[in-house]
Amino acid sequence: MTRDRGREPETAPPEGALPTASPARTRALVWELLRPRRGLATAGFSVMVGATAFGLLPQPLLGHIVDLVAEGRPATELTGPAVLLVLVALLQGGATALGLTLVSRLGETMLAALRERFVERALLLPQERVERAGSGDLTARVTGDVSRVAESVRNALPELARSLLAIVLTLGAMALLDWRFLVAALLAVPVQAHTARWYVRNAVPLYARQRVAAGAIQQRLLDTIGGAETVRAFRMEEEHAGRVANASRAAIELTMRGVRLVVGFYSRLHIAEYIGLAAVLFAGFLLVQDGSASIGTATAAALYFHSLFGPINNALVLLDDAQSALAGLARLAGVATLPPEPGTEPEAGREPGPEPRTVTVTDAGHAYEVGRPVLRGVDLVLRPGEQVALVGASGAGKSTLARIVAGVQRPSSGTVRLPAARPGARRAVVLVTQESHVFAGPLAEDLRLARPEADEEELCSALALVGALEWARALPAGLDTVVGEAGHRLTAAQVQQLALARLVLADPEVAVLDEATAEAGSAGARALERAAARAAEGRTALVVAHRLTQAATADRIVVMEDGRVAESGTHEELLAVGGRYAALWEAWSDTRATAE
Amino acid sequence: MSRSRSPGQVVLRRALGGRRRLVLAGSVLRAGHQAGEAAVPVLIGLAVDQGVVAGDLGALLRWLAVLAVVYLVLSFSYRFGARASDRAMEEIAHTLRAEVVGRVLHPGGGAESGRLPGALAGIATEDARRVGALANAIPGAAATFTGLLAGAAVLLWISVPLGLVVLAGAPALLWLGHLLSRPLERRSATEQDRAARASGVAADLVAGLRVLKGIGAERAALDRYRATSRDSLAATMRAARAEALQNGVVLALTGCLIAVVGLSGGRLAAGGRISLGDLISAVGLALFLIGPLQSLARVNTAFAQARASATRIAEVLAAPPAVTPGAARLPRDLRGGLSLRAVGHAGLRGIDLEVAPGELLGVAATDPADALALLRCLDRRADPETGTVELDGVSLRDLDPGDLRSTVLVAAHDADLFEGTLLGNVGAVAEQDADLGRVMAAAGADEVARALPYGQETAVAERGRSLSGGQRQRVALARALAADRPVLVVHDPTTAVDTVTEARIAAGIRELRRGRTTIMVTTSPALLTVADRVVLLDGGRIVETGPHTELARRNETYRSAVLT
Repeated sequence: MTRDRGREPETAPPEGALPTASPARTRALVWELLRPRRGLATAGFSVMVGATAFGLLPQPLLGHIVDLVAEGRPATELTGPAVLLVLVALLQGGATALGLTLVSRLGETMLAALRERFVERALLLPQERVERAGSGDLTARVTGDVSRVAESVRNALPELARSLLAIVLTLGAMALLDWRFLVAALLAVPVQAHTARWYVRNAVPLYARQRVAAGAIQQRLLDTIGGAETVRAFRMEEEHAGRVANASRAAIELTMRGVRLVVGFYSRLHIAEYIGLAAVLFAGFLLVQDGSASIGTATAAALYFHSLFGPINNALVLLDDAQSALAGLARLAGVATLPPEPGTEPEAGREPGPEPRTVTVTDAGHAYEVGRPVLRGVDLVLRPGEQVALVGASGAGKSTLARIVAGVQRPSSGTVRLPAARPGARRAVVLVTQESHVFAGPLAEDLRLARPEADEEELCSALALVGALEWARALPAGLDTVVGEAGHRLTAAQVQQLALARLVLADPEVAVLDEATAEAGSAGARALERAAARAAEGRTALVVAHRLTQAATADRIVVMEDGRVAESGTHEELLAVGGRYAALWEAWSDTRATAE
Repeated sequence: MSRSRSPGQVVLRRALGGRRRLVLAGSVLRAGHQAGEAAVPVLIGLAVDQGVVAGDLGALLRWLAVLAVVYLVLSFSYRFGARASDRAMEEIAHTLRAEVVGRVLHPGGGAESGRLPGALAGIATEDARRVGALANAIPGAAATFTGLLAGAAVLLWISVPLGLVVLAGAPALLWLGHLLSRPLERRSATEQDRAARASGVAADLVAGLRVLKGIGAERAALDRYRATSRDSLAATMRAARAEALQNGVVLALTGCLIAVVGLSGGRLAAGGRISLGDLISAVGLALFLIGPLQSLARVNTAFAQARASATRIAEVLAAPPAVTPGAARLPRDLRGGLSLRAVGHAGLRGIDLEVAPGELLGVAATDPADALALLRCLDRRADPETGTVELDGVSLRDLDPGDLRSTVLVAAHDADLFEGTLLGNVGAVAEQDADLGRVMAAAGADEVARALPYGQETAVAERGRSLSGGQRQRVALARALAADRPVLVVHDPTTAVDTVTEARIAAGIRELRRGRTTIMVTTSPALLTVADRVVLLDGGRIVETGPHTELARRNETYRSAVLT
């Protein structure tokens, strides 16, 4: 029918977007996943064929009963076919249970292999690649597409296989009764095929719009409910209620269009049912008239056709699910089949420096968009154990330089040389940013991401170092408390302390801290600064400093302006120069001049 | 005479009552459809009996014509019945959604306490949908009963013993199937919960991708995901096995019922008590009845779900408001003087504070919780336990909280931005002719706009999470300034902003709010410097008042809170 029409051709994706696999590539991936499971696939398919075949025996047996009655045989002879009917029912039930088990085992193991491969590729994608595509795309694939494919592997696929098998075998059985019954039944096919094509053509774009509309409601609701305090403070209640109502109204109208489509679809299928049924009954009449079929056979044919309604309706509806699952599969395959890029592995592609334990940035330039450079010709050397503060106005390029030193961003031009990781440490350089995330699960498991083999004692001493042990112990279940989404909620300051504790556990040679204290509010910021200082102790550190008190205590201060290093030196040296830093310091200490 | 109903039932009845015509139309039409479906196997039997067996072409064509009419009727009733009940379902969900959102946004507040935003959004979507689904389940039930009754009537008309066999047998077998599969169902539900976990973990890891990359934990994360994925796989396969078994059991039982009907019908026909056509009709009806009987179980589930959902919705709608409105009005020519008398709330104790109209006041709190408690009292998100807050001599308790907030704006430290452009956010509550450029500059948001790809037309996504902390703060501050309320209270508006910009913003606030009452609750010296007067809040009490420079000179607590 209308399968595999390649509705998602490989259109040129918007620049930087993650790829969608072509139908050929998707098929290749499916085959690759299927090959090691050929035995299981064959067994599952064979058992399902057997189960469906058993399902076709009741109609001729019932037909036989009709014939026995028509021939006026004694009622005792009916016991034989009735016993057979029971036997067939038991065999069909058993074979179906076994077949469905095998088929779902096949589907589920393939699905697990696919999602693991997808997540592996996704986690190893270079950060810049993910950012260019927008992390929303990746999130949508890992949640929406994975569950859509899983849903159809779990429900649609076995059901579709069952229905298709039932259709094929039933038509075959009708042909066995008499080929002319088959011809009569096939009269319904043109209507069904046309209906299916009409439906898919209209439904696919409509469902895509419905998904967008459903997402929009959810988004609006979270926007409005999550920001309810703000909405009330600014008296925007009516505007926001209106926004939600509009989104909801739009989704309803799309849903109703979908409903009209579906009921129209079934209405047309009713026509096909009638045509086929009338034709089969009429064929039965003719065949019984000329003696080439018994009444029982005609009955069996009519019962067969009546029993086809369910599978045919099922199959046509499931085709739609299958289409949407295929689209999701192509989006998963697009990422899962990405060849590992050079530089995908953390730490790869960067030369170790000539001097151990030293970070050297030479003539680095960077632009996120062509023509808008954010960094130009930056030279920077971090000597072992040196604490360097990065200072400058917002947008001066501090964060970009920090990301380049941390190795999560490759510069557009210039080179970066990093020290090798310490023995036992995973990475030479660790970056902690203001963007924080608490991983869902027990607190201890979150920390162990940084050092999987860490024991309880190590976790506690890392927490103690950043001043977090007290509250962590006080959590409902201590370090085993489930945190993150749907778990115990931590304050912004606690989340940052957690990030610093991970840094301590990762134990890198070089620590890069970017605005790691910004979100805590001014009172909390000072405590976090002290925690950050302790976490960075004994390491080479690059700290993007907001508060100049933090900068003043560094070994060296690097002032950035418009993507360049404007000044570099100790606090005293820079004050003596009387340049940019001195001006910043003046602005800062003006507000606190009275403190001295 | 009216028995007391639970709040959930009230919601349920009100929702259905509002769409009673659609529900009724859906029920009648879908019952018609089901009756038609029940007639099809009967007509097949009649066509075989009187047409094929008797060899009567005229009779065959007559019955085929009747079949055509039945198909026409069932098809049309299905079409319009489904439309009516689906429309009712969607409209009910929409109405309830609007009610929930309206309650959450009500100026009195209180609906969010104890509920996460995600949970409330879930109530407004999923629970509203489940209650709406009842408008679909009721016509479904009507159709099911009609199908059952029609089938039963025909069977009994064909033969009383045969009808009784089917009518007793079908429910008995379903009940048996239900008994056999109940432990399986239970197991399957718990397994499915575990199976869903893999996708949750994957989404969580992707959401924290930057953090993972920062600490080089990609491999560790991947190992963890694999373990979860395998665990989910094992659970899913157990669930699938249980489900497959359930499927097999139902199939086998159905087959047995058919065998019983075939045997007893055959015996009756052999004894000449019923015709061949009756036998065929009976077998067809027995097969047909399995459908309605199975959906009867589903209708039950739909009712149970709708009841639970309606209760959750009723709880939100009936959530006690945090504050109740008073009837007083504010004077037309507002001066904007605030006075707090012996206010005690949360950690605050006996706060006495006069804020003169037009004053720029700084409030430095040593405990962030005290600052929050004060802020909540100022725009009536909460009423103080003791003492009063007055605006131009009117106690806030006597005002409607919504009216109050048209006058007093408390701009929270973590205020959310909304979907729309940067400029759209700033101008959301500004007067038509407001000079937004000037406001943006005062808040340092002009610099934010310059750094973004589309300037002030850049779209803000995910409640402002697409901007950096410093950018978000400045845009939120610009919005608060643009609202131009007679009284403005800002809380820590510059914590993620660099020093130079902070000083500029302080000057901007002072300039823009000249002559209008403004309170800055903060420990930032840059802001406190520009205040006319600063009060120091320590241990829940006001311990000092004076200009920033003076406090910084003479008060050790102030110095340690603000200057270190």
